[in-house]
Amino acid sequence: MDIRDELGRRMLFFDGAMGTMLQAAGLPAGEIPERWNLSRPDIIREIHRTYLEAGCDIVLSNTFGASPVKLENSGVGTEDTVAAAVRLARQAVEEAGRGWVALDIGPTGRLLRPTGDLPFEEAVSAFGRQVRAGAEAGAELVLIETMSDLYELKAAVLAAKENCTLPVFATLIFDASGKLLTGGDIPAAVALLEGLGVDALGLNCGLGPKQMAKLLPDLLDWTSLPVIITPNAGLPECVDGCTRFNVTPEDFAASMLDFAEQGAWMLGGCCGTTPDHIARMVEACRDVKPIPLTRKSRTWVSSYAKTVVFGKKPVLIGERINPTGKSRLKQALREGDLDYILREGVTQQQSGAMVLDVNVGLPDLDEGAMLCRILPELQGITDLPLQIDTADFSAMERALRLYNGRPLINSVCGKQESMDAVFPLMKKYGGTVIALTLDESGIPATTEGRLAVARRILNEAARYGIPREDIIFDPLAMTVSADQTAAATTLEALRRIRDELGCKTSLGVSNISFGLPRRETVNAAFFLMAMQNGLAAAIMNPNSRAMMDAFYAYGALAGLDPNCTDYIAHCEGEASPTGPTPAPSAGGPVLSESVIHGLRENAVSAARAELASREPMDLIDRELIPALDFVGREFEAGRLYLPQLLMSAEAARSVFDLIKAKIQAAGGEQVVKGTVVLATVKGDVHDIGKNIVKVLLENYGYRVVDLGKDVDPERVLEAVRREKVRLVGLSALMTTTVTRMAETIRLLRRDAPGCLVMVGGAVLTEDYARQIDADFYGPDAMSSVRYADRVFAAGK
Amino acid sequence: MAEIDWKETRRYLGLHRPGGTVDHRLEESLHACGRELTAVAVPRAVWKRAELVREGKNVLSAGGIRLESRSLFRHLRDCRGVYLFAATLGAETDRLIRRAGLVDMSRAVMLQACAASLLEAWCDEKCDELARQVEEEGLYLKPRFSPGYGDLSIACQQQLLEELEAPKRIGLTATAEQMLTPTKSVTALIGLTPDPQPCRTGCSTCKKTDCAFRKTE
Repeated sequence: MDIRDELGRRMLFFDGAMGTMLQAAGLPAGEIPERWNLSRPDIIREIHRTYLEAGCDIVLSNTFGASPVKLENSGVGTEDTVAAAVRLARQAVEEAGRGWVALDIGPTGRLLRPTGDLPFEEAVSAFGRQVRAGAEAGAELVLIETMSDLYELKAAVLAAKENCTLPVFATLIFDASGKLLTGGDIPAAVALLEGLGVDALGLNCGLGPKQMAKLLPDLLDWTSLPVIITPNAGLPECVDGCTRFNVTPEDFAASMLDFAEQGAWMLGGCCGTTPDHIARMVEACRDVKPIPLTRKSRTWVSSYAKTVVFGKKPVLIGERINPTGKSRLKQALREGDLDYILREGVTQQQSGAMVLDVNVGLPDLDEGAMLCRILPELQGITDLPLQIDTADFSAMERALRLYNGRPLINSVCGKQESMDAVFPLMKKYGGTVIALTLDESGIPATTEGRLAVARRILNEAARYGIPREDIIFDPLAMTVSADQTAAATTLEALRRIRDELGCKTSLGVSNISFGLPRRETVNAAFFLMAMQNGLAAAIMNPNSRAMMDAFYAYGALAGLDPNCTDYIAHCEGEASPTGPTPAPSAGGPVLSESVIHGLRENAVSAARAELASREPMDLIDRELIPALDFVGREFEAGRLYLPQLLMSAEAARSVFDLIKAKIQAAGGEQVVKGTVVLATVKGDVHDIGKNIVKVLLENYGYRVVDLGKDVDPERVLEAVRREKVRLVGLSALMTTTVTRMAETIRLLRRDAPGCLVMVGGAVLTEDYARQIDADFYGPDAMSSVRYADRVFAAGK
Repeated sequence: MAEIDWKETRRYLGLHRPGGTVDHRLEESLHACGRELTAVAVPRAVWKRAELVREGKNVLSAGGIRLESRSLFRHLRDCRGVYLFAATLGAETDRLIRRAGLVDMSRAVMLQACAASLLEAWCDEKCDELARQVEEEGLYLKPRFSPGYGDLSIACQQQLLEELEAPKRIGLTATAEQMLTPTKSVTALIGLTPDPQPCRTGCSTCKKTDCAFRKTE
């Protein structure tokens, strides 16, 4: 019988701890528990038998640590041990004449990229091997448990869904404050798991019943799914080097009864629980009637860390990561300058964006590949949910796979082709979609026409089981300069979609003002009107002061900002001082002085003033370069410290950005002294040293091709060849990774003999650098710049 | 709760060297970074006591982990037991530093130094607790000895983390190449000795004698 048919009809019980029982049976420290599926099958079967006798309904196979990622080099094969474990559990269930066998899946023990080094798809295929082996051996459901990283959990759920048709349950390990070790919270976990279509979810391990009791109400509030609770028998205590758990079976059972009465449907025990705990729990809770589920209809999205719920207060979606009309971003995309793109993310978040739009579509670029590069990196630096914005459905699917959370999808429309492509993806990966009210015959001119398209979209979504709250309508803001009724039509559509369809709305606000002077004024006014008409989300520029003013003023006026706190904070944020302010219009020395003192804002405003009357190159040659030379010499002489050198470098970078934009606008070419490839070598995940060198090299006029961290020797070689580079900089922090540095150098010597190699990093010494055949050892940040100057001057 | 040691933080940044001026602005930025870090970092630690078995010349085993190292063997020569130890400031600390580095490298460098100092302080605080626990047995803690010190290979990292259940208990893992992630983390063996211990710094055992941060005492 499919366990899903029994869910909610009666309380269901999981077994208790496997590890605790194995230790009691003599499993030595350091031994892999999964080995016993093959070498001591009798013991494993006996443990299952005991738990079934205690009254549990579901036994977990002894496969918690059977990930191929974990078992590599252990001499235990994933498929062998999983199949054996599931068969042992099956035998016990058949003997007992009742029960279900759950394939137990625990974490890989590694963190996924970019926090760790495990690639997402590698995790999916590793979990897939466990799932296939378990399903073939007769498991009746998959339980993914003790997960503390939502990203890894997503990989496991996808693997389960793609490799079997069994029910999938997932439980996570939270700390007492309701946080995952990787930063997520309960709503973020619920948003992700419900989107992925698991059958039940819950909490396990980490906490005892007492601590879990504090988290359960929150979980029940957020989820619409059946809830599983499997606590430890208390918090672990260390006694004589052994871990002990102190909650007695009686107390355990009393807590579990409480959980059942609050609404949990499935109960079990994790670390430290024994057949006694399970027997008492079953006895206490058997007759509780499961409380019926309530469907929470919420329009929401999430990141790895948090959720954003679309409600009364409009959600600001930052539009800056979209190359349309942005030549600097186009250039960054073509050059693969991820840092520039990431910086756009960080600044928008600082400005108040709540979701970030990510659109990397350029005609000559592989959009899917670019999305897959940028998404994990963005997820590595921001906790904001992302909006995946692409018209290329295959790129959309690749991005949805890689996204760590419940995404906002931009977009679907009333065209059959669009709905046929997007809705199945939503069904599989979860998410909330922006739906444009247009179809094969274009954008309806009337409000009525746009509502008709919206209704068709809702009906089609329902066929896939996608509820209306997962759809946010964008009734399209048309240019008011071309049609003066455009704004009124859109505003009416906003109101009617909210009132008649009960759906949320969103707009790309700035379209309205095309062709008009002082567009920001029109945008901000339209934004206010739209909010007044129920707008739930706006795709806009959070760096625009007029737009943010309108947003905060609206919040205060609409009674959405208690004590006007946000409005006041917004105003104060803008007035914040940035240090001593030399008069920006005082002439030449202000710019170089500001750079020397690392006063970024002052440097930028001075440069802006100077650019009105001076040539860009003149500013570079007479202000920036002398200032940077001075700073470099001061650093080398020990009169400036590293943070001060970097403050100057950052001030200079902002000025360079300004000047570059000016040169580009005038159609000029930038002068680059040379191109340098930088990488932190294979195996090493510490990249701050390399990043310091990068910032400095860029400021001293070099183009840097940054390959990132943990870089294969082959990738370095490939970049050297592609870019025809004469200088490579390698960084390594640990003694062990220095050997990887040597390997990289050997490869370069063999296949790119003309290329020079400079090295740096904490454990390196001059001697060691010579031993591994490097051309130059850089003991500090400036030395690499000086070396590059020598290399490229000699080449001229 | 452990706090950032400002003197150490300045040392990591090289500010202890004479010649330059740590002006008010630098000092204020550094403290702002410290506040930001403390708000984000979630220090966690996990440890387990294990018996120390001498399996042969320069070969030890503790908690089922085989450790072949001359320097560790010597470091623990008078110890019968050890604490296996792991601590981390958590994944959000890595994110914070990475984010800072994108817009302002000087802040990334200062955050990095604050994090290193906070991590050390946190480990010291935990070790003080452990020291108090073994005091009544007449035992003292040796300085922390981490994989990668001396000739102790970092290859034991994974086993050490597994034995401590560090991935699930404190969110600390190792990469395929045995690098700790999150990066602001420590693993160590801490010997238990009947000899009272004079100090706990490890610089004197390190072979990188030209290190800019070497403590000379």
